[in-house]
Amino acid sequence: MKEPVSDLSKDNDILVQVEDLKVHFPIAEGVFRRTVGWVPVVDGVSFVLRRGETFSLVGESGCGKSTTAYAMLRMQPVTSGRILFQGEDITHYSPSRMRPLRRRMQMVYQDPFGSLNPRMKVGSIIGEPLRVHKLFTDKAKYKERIGELMRLVGLLPEMADRYPHEFSGGQRQRIAIARALAPDPDLIICDEAVSALDVSIQAQVLNLLMDLQEQLNLTYFFIAHDLSVVRHFSHRVAVMYLGRMVEIGPGNELFSNPRHPYTQALLNAVPTPHPEVESHFSHEVIAGEVPSLRNPPKGCRFHPRCPVAKPECSHVRPEWAEEGGTTVACHLYGER
Amino acid sequence: MKASPETPMAREGSLLAVRELSVSFRSERGQVRALDHVSFEVEEGETLAIVGESGSGKSVTALSILRLLDDAGQIDNGSIEFEGRDLLHLDEPSLRHIRGDRIAMIFQEPMSSLNPVLTIGKQVAEPIRLHRKLPWSIALEQAAELLDRVSIPESRHRLKDYPHQFSGGMRQRVMIAMALACRPKLIIADEPTTALDVTVQAQILALLKRLTKELNSALILISHDLGVVARYADRVAVMYGGRIVEIAAAAALYKNPQHPYTEGLLASQPSLHSTPGERLQAISGQPPDMANLPPGCAFAPRCHYARAECRASRPPLEPVAPGHERACFGFE
Repeated sequence: MKEPVSDLSKDNDILVQVEDLKVHFPIAEGVFRRTVGWVPVVDGVSFVLRRGETFSLVGESGCGKSTTAYAMLRMQPVTSGRILFQGEDITHYSPSRMRPLRRRMQMVYQDPFGSLNPRMKVGSIIGEPLRVHKLFTDKAKYKERIGELMRLVGLLPEMADRYPHEFSGGQRQRIAIARALAPDPDLIICDEAVSALDVSIQAQVLNLLMDLQEQLNLTYFFIAHDLSVVRHFSHRVAVMYLGRMVEIGPGNELFSNPRHPYTQALLNAVPTPHPEVESHFSHEVIAGEVPSLRNPPKGCRFHPRCPVAKPECSHVRPEWAEEGGTTVACHLYGER
Repeated sequence: MKASPETPMAREGSLLAVRELSVSFRSERGQVRALDHVSFEVEEGETLAIVGESGSGKSVTALSILRLLDDAGQIDNGSIEFEGRDLLHLDEPSLRHIRGDRIAMIFQEPMSSLNPVLTIGKQVAEPIRLHRKLPWSIALEQAAELLDRVSIPESRHRLKDYPHQFSGGMRQRVMIAMALACRPKLIIADEPTTALDVTVQAQILALLKRLTKELNSALILISHDLGVVARYADRVAVMYGGRIVEIAAAAALYKNPQHPYTEGLLASQPSLHSTPGERLQAISGQPPDMANLPPGCAFAPRCHYARAECRASRPPLEPVAPGHERACFGFE
């Protein structure tokens, strides 16, 4: 179940490569919390991140998007599979071996209120990665770097002595971005980084992220549920359902010509701010809810909700097939 | 039934008429005005959406209609006329007859609005028993029918279940069943699907729309999502800084926004039709600090059309076209 990309080893642009990643969570029961089973939260996911691109993972809650990201960063035990960072297999690295690499992968979280320590001054929050990784030579350089980072994200360096509560939601997210940029990373994981922001502020932060990517050649791994934002922001998009990827391809192609029935359902469910488009909306929405991972459906995991399911979908896991510009795991395609 | 656009002001016999409503809250920083002379009407059977960002006053508006503000909140001014009676002058017992019976409310978080220690059957049957004075057995029978109507499978069996045994989407269906129990004339839904996944959101909103149509109930849909509003609303009111800045039929508002804030909001949102990678037209600046509003238009500090008069005084909400009102001194 690999993403069919030809001969990855010769591709210098590849920053991260994930192969057949599985993360299974134990089910503990009884007084002694014995493990009675496993939940396949991420169940055989493969993808690559190319330097300078924005790769987005979309899907509904519980589909495994965040777990995939945490496992990729080695913040979550991996059940099986391989994670290569710039060709280096980091799947089994010890915490101390991971440490120098951590500098190069940073994170921006959803909640701009919960992710900043309220007792620390903003300058100190932004400088924390510099202190942790000992990335400065003297105090003056340290101060200078913090001022530079604040300017980079559109904050005034004079604000460094203030506390997070003195800032609005959008400004706090800028602080979180400045902190992520501090150790000069290659990869930034944005886990629903703009979801909690108001629409007018969300646009400011998205623009900032796009500008920073251009200036610093950053790679973004973007986790989001707002498909309009994802389409606008991403170079490539992967759609996840119940721990597996169902479709992967260039954002443009995937959104204008979705192949997998789940991608189609997801797109059909998103309302757009255009009443004239919406007046033609059929209101025929996909039935049912995401089933439990404790007992995932056999074959294609989407088949119980799929409007075009065939008999084989309920017992044979679909192979990846190239279809137009995207790659899709569905029995409707390939095998011809 | 859509609103008649010909007579924007002083419509006779609106189901709900909110006039000059002002609400303030006590806070550490003194009295904060959350709503400032808000006026709008809701016609029988129509869906009015109220959109705005956090702190704009949309939820306060909803809570004020049912007089559900907490102790810190206080209604300073205005009237809320519903079926010919001013809700602000009713005593608590009369209000209780209206709540849940004539006007029902659906909240954002179904888990915290359901009682975790009561069965779903009890909670859905309660308003029927209370308002219709029916015995439990009949009320429970009707509750099962309501669960059928909101497409909860095995409804009779599930009456005995507790809220935690339902998924988020199913809980919101239960909330809708409770809201519809007494066939209310008006349903107020405050961000009813914000906590749900998109495919479930689409199911719930389609269900809500279909059932309000069947019962000819009016719906006030409070949302921050311009897409949701475009799909489900007949008319839209846009709020900013505790005031309505624009109100119009949905199609007119999206096609031809008349307030710079509405225009900015529509332009700043990426849609499934925008050009990927292009910079979005963000509205600069920060949302207003409600404890420290400027003397003029609350949007003036962020508005690139703002002139001296915008900073000096607040523009009133006035018609610019039939059925289309805005609070702006004008911009080109």
